[in-house]
Amino acid sequence: MLTAVKNQMRVCLLSIKYNMMREMVNKVTFLTNVGFMVLNNASFLVQWAILFRLRGDVGGYTFREIMLLWGLVAASFGLSHILFARVFSLSDLIIGGKLDAYLVQPKNVLASVLTSATDVSAIGDFLYGMGLGLICSRGVGGFFLYLLFTVTGAVVFTAFALLLGSLSFWFVRMDMLQSQMVMGIVSFGTYPDGIFKGVSRFLLYFVIPVGMAVWQPVHLLVSFDAGMFFTVTGYAAFLVVAAVAVFYRGLRRYASGNLMEARM
Amino acid sequence: MQAIKVEDLSKTFRIKRKEKGMRGSVKAIFHPQTEEIHAVNGVSFAVEEGEMLAFIGPNGAGKSTTIKMLTGILYPDGGRVEVLGIDPTKKRRQLAYRIGTVFGQKEQLWTHLTPYDNFRFFGAIYDLSERETEARIAELAERFELGGFIDTPVRNLSLGQRIRCEIVVSLIHRPMVLFLDEPTIGLDPVVKENIRELIRQMNREEHTTIFLTSHDVGDIEKLCRRIIIVNDGQIVLDDSVEHLKSHYSEHSLEDIIVEIYKSQEEN
Repeated sequence: MLTAVKNQMRVCLLSIKYNMMREMVNKVTFLTNVGFMVLNNASFLVQWAILFRLRGDVGGYTFREIMLLWGLVAASFGLSHILFARVFSLSDLIIGGKLDAYLVQPKNVLASVLTSATDVSAIGDFLYGMGLGLICSRGVGGFFLYLLFTVTGAVVFTAFALLLGSLSFWFVRMDMLQSQMVMGIVSFGTYPDGIFKGVSRFLLYFVIPVGMAVWQPVHLLVSFDAGMFFTVTGYAAFLVVAAVAVFYRGLRRYASGNLMEARM
Repeated sequence: MQAIKVEDLSKTFRIKRKEKGMRGSVKAIFHPQTEEIHAVNGVSFAVEEGEMLAFIGPNGAGKSTTIKMLTGILYPDGGRVEVLGIDPTKKRRQLAYRIGTVFGQKEQLWTHLTPYDNFRFFGAIYDLSERETEARIAELAERFELGGFIDTPVRNLSLGQRIRCEIVVSLIHRPMVLFLDEPTIGLDPVVKENIRELIRQMNREEHTTIFLTSHDVGDIEKLCRRIIIVNDGQIVLDDSVEHLKSHYSEHSLEDIIVEIYKSQEEN
């Protein structure tokens, strides 16, 4: 069992390494993509800085908390897209019958699929998120907690995308819904939760998991609460279990295809 | 001993249908219509260890669907499959260690990597140690004459060189059964002949069972001793190539196959 896990990890790490090598073939494009993503993210903070000059707080958040919010969203989104970028185009693989190459390998099909691509610009997101984490965290312990929430956030991003993408085994064009819902975490997650009330707040906790991916972790970074900490980590674990179960249930319906294709 | 055993295998796909034009698209939203396609319908056959079998048929006959069920890619709707005594629906990963697949229309190789790096990656996939992988790469590189391009990125290789590398990747773990789905598609006659010789050699030296689908009669004639023809998801002929040729001695194998396809269409 341990050997099997070790071998699976070896293949996943090799796959991530080869993805990186592919992205680094053109050094100028690689560095430009990463650099511009950092600049792009930073430009939004300028807007917030101006807003906080006019008001003391927005939705109950201080400027430091807004920076934590942006940092956590960017780092989680980045980590998920660096390691598991393929999950965000899972619908395309399912509908196009492109899972065959993974299904004939003696490895965990989901792990192989998830690690089969990387998004180079996400390195910029991740670096930006780490930078904000270093600036805004309180001490070494605070930064470690920030790192932990980066991981749980990336897990929620990945599992949520997996859950929605796996619905493509039953319904066509789930790619659009998947993309919109996942980007919803980014769009809403970069605003303070205090500005959302009633139904919208309910939806952002129970339909699009912004609450557990970003808002509650930021609250915990400001004021730690053991009960909420276990709720956040437990939610991430639950979402993984649910998404994996839906993927494997759907895999039985996989219809393959005969399109000409190459592994790029 | 039997390498492959298939009993009453079937697979049905549900395909969406819509009337033509925008009106049809709108109507399909409110009244979706589907049609059942019996891609494979009650197929039974067995393949002996070390046998080279041609599994052929016109486009849409159910060849690829059958291969995909034999390799664990697709779940059958009915019937039983055993490959090397393993049920692909229950032990796909265990089976994958013992079989190899080459889909001529789908590449497994990473195009930005060299064949050598690809072979090392696939060695890891099949849990081979570094030493085993290196030894196997050296052996296959010599047999498939890859020396001249083993360190060239795959995207810069010719189609023939790529297919040779695809076959090597599928052999890295010494599979007992090799599934070849149109392995010579798009290749020139010289490269085709080269690939056929390598497959023959592998069957001879490693006693590998070959399950081949191809539209190229040359592949069938030069590689296989037995032929199964499928149409509309059902087996319409299961015979030895030699017997088929002697029975229709005045015709080429290509003519015989075309005749069988045509007679099926008329029925």
